[in-house]
Amino acid sequence: MRSMGTKPLSRRGFLAALGGLATLPAFSGSTLAESLLSREAAEGVPLFVSAYKLENGDYGVGVVDDLGQVLARITLPGRGHGVAISPDKSRFVAFARRPGTFAVVVRPFQDVAPEVLTAEPGRHYYGHGCFSADGNLLYAVENDYATARGVLGVYDMSGRQVQRIGEIETHGIGPHDILLAPDGRTLVVANGGIMTHPDKGREKLNLDTMAPTVVFLDRETGDLHTGHALDASLHQLSLRHMALDGQGRAWVGGQFEGPETDQPPLVGIFSRDEAPILTEIPTGIASGLQNYIGSVTANASGDVIATSAPRGGQTLFWKADTGVFLGAEAIADGCGVAPIDQGSFLISDGNGALSLVSDPAQPAEILARPPGISWDNHMFALS
Amino acid sequence: MRRLLFAVLAVGAVTVQPAFATDYEPKLDNLIETYIKPQTSAFAETAAKLPAAVRAVCANGDAASVETFETVYSETLRDFAHIHFLRFGPLIDNDRLSRLAFLPDPRGITQRQIRKVLASKDKDALSATTLKDKSVAVQGLTALELLAFDKDSAVRLGQAGDDKAFTCGYALAISENLAAMAGEIAEGWQDPDGYSAVLLTAEGGNERFHTSKEALESVFNALVTGLIIARDQDVLPALGTGRDKAKATRFPFSRSGNSVVYLSGEMRGVQEALASLELMDLTPDDFTWIYNAVDFEFDNAVGLLETLEPPLRQSFEEGDAYDKVAVLAITLKSLRDTIALELAGALNLAGGFNALDGD
Repeated sequence: MRSMGTKPLSRRGFLAALGGLATLPAFSGSTLAESLLSREAAEGVPLFVSAYKLENGDYGVGVVDDLGQVLARITLPGRGHGVAISPDKSRFVAFARRPGTFAVVVRPFQDVAPEVLTAEPGRHYYGHGCFSADGNLLYAVENDYATARGVLGVYDMSGRQVQRIGEIETHGIGPHDILLAPDGRTLVVANGGIMTHPDKGREKLNLDTMAPTVVFLDRETGDLHTGHALDASLHQLSLRHMALDGQGRAWVGGQFEGPETDQPPLVGIFSRDEAPILTEIPTGIASGLQNYIGSVTANASGDVIATSAPRGGQTLFWKADTGVFLGAEAIADGCGVAPIDQGSFLISDGNGALSLVSDPAQPAEILARPPGISWDNHMFALS
Repeated sequence: MRRLLFAVLAVGAVTVQPAFATDYEPKLDNLIETYIKPQTSAFAETAAKLPAAVRAVCANGDAASVETFETVYSETLRDFAHIHFLRFGPLIDNDRLSRLAFLPDPRGITQRQIRKVLASKDKDALSATTLKDKSVAVQGLTALELLAFDKDSAVRLGQAGDDKAFTCGYALAISENLAAMAGEIAEGWQDPDGYSAVLLTAEGGNERFHTSKEALESVFNALVTGLIIARDQDVLPALGTGRDKAKATRFPFSRSGNSVVYLSGEMRGVQEALASLELMDLTPDDFTWIYNAVDFEFDNAVGLLETLEPPLRQSFEEGDAYDKVAVLAITLKSLRDTIALELAGALNLAGGFNALDGD
């Protein structure tokens, strides 16, 4: 018999709560109720969360299991992007895609309605955030758009209601992704460098002068510890998405805003006290990527890094300690990547599929393709 | 309410339609009138024959009723293959597509769940009314195949056995549920205020699309996704990483010996749906060669399949069957690239949700 008391979360509680969470009865006639309940190891089922778009034009964030079955869908007010997951996995926050102004706090294992946050006047979200190690604070990357200043909104998550209690400067324009370093004190922020203003939608306003950086900030004092920029010749490589490897280094994927015919490096390794290292993508693969990396994710042990390139329909894999290219998997419009098991990745795509990749030399195993769903850019392991 | 909304939107479309934009509504109308309506009606007609075929094979179990059941099941799969890639509107409303066929299912969710239904003699599986509220995996053509055929592709439904009464009752409920859903899909497309109105009032903007071009892109991309499914999901898993790793059981509907019927059906379906859009007159002269090239490759793909000997479970490892399917996979990739890159490029159609507008 399973001991429910020794686990912080109850899957049965999760199932019970679904009715209160989702606005669409996707699971009532789906495999969820039966497949998850009937699974012998239901308590240990890995779960994943990703934003999506439905065929009917609605947006939301969904929870899927390791068989790719959609367990819950929560409608969002607009297009979502990244998700911050609390360290104890009891909550996640789904952020609006830039320049959106909503974030939705979901407690998937409790029967409570999601809490919708709205950005402060003069601020919009960039789509990513992260929790402090104790789960009490949330840091959201935001745009102070009157001055084109990147900031981290700091939110107190410990009370009954979420409260924004301050902000920290990111020392750059267009902060995009954020990570909490293993020391629990340092925040790593990728300042993408691209200036936008909500009055101009998603128009890029400073491509000639953009200057992306990766900065290491003290989350308690807000001080800038280190900021890394790339060589001036790469100033148009917007540094955007990140993952930490087993050594605590940030792997960063870029999107190049310069000439399409250029073939700059797209993946770099950043650490606080060392100069950035740029990896080499084999020429035959690099030429098809349209200079665009979507998601960056480490496997569970941090020794393999996956970087998706949806415009090239490829996901690239790297050996984390040496930076050596391990291979690529062709997945059309594949972008969201989450670690599954020790050595595998679950990859989501815009055609609705959820695919398992354990070895780039083997074809991806398509686990599921829920009809009517286009998975958005990022997927995260929820458990 | 919905009807009223569309009526209002249709009026709005007339007044705000920009004069310089191409109106893609006639193209969408071609697709609906000459492909979607006839094909969804055909599926409804064949699926409607399933309950009687199940009743007959369960009542008699003789060679004639077995053969009739095999034929009706196969024709239903063929007609389903002609439409399954229309992943919008009536086909996906109410989870219909997953309920019609739970695919892909590489980890055998359907088998596990059906085993439980059979072990517990779950009464909810004996009526279409209660079956439709159960897991999508136990409702459709994939579930019926597991119940009705044995591993060697022979019909076991209706044959003497301890579970005959329950299995027959469950199979009948599935067939009635399938017939009902197929009917709903056909009706949904016939309804002038249904999803066809969403596609045909897009010019000038409606609740779903900003322009008719956007509506055309959504159906065009569904056809491309159909080709991705055909290759990546339906063919590659069976090919494995080499001849010694081939797994014929991974072809869709291999258990009933219908993989060739299904694969040919989906390829012909995408081919004919694309042709029904009649996009030639919008295609720059330099790119009109694409249509002949695409037809040539579709014909090659289906031609390759026709030379295989079903059931593939028995024949895939013999002769040159593996090599032919390997060529089929290459042909499907080429078709996808030609349509998704060259044709879409020539028509200036946007594709790829993440690729198009990532962040």
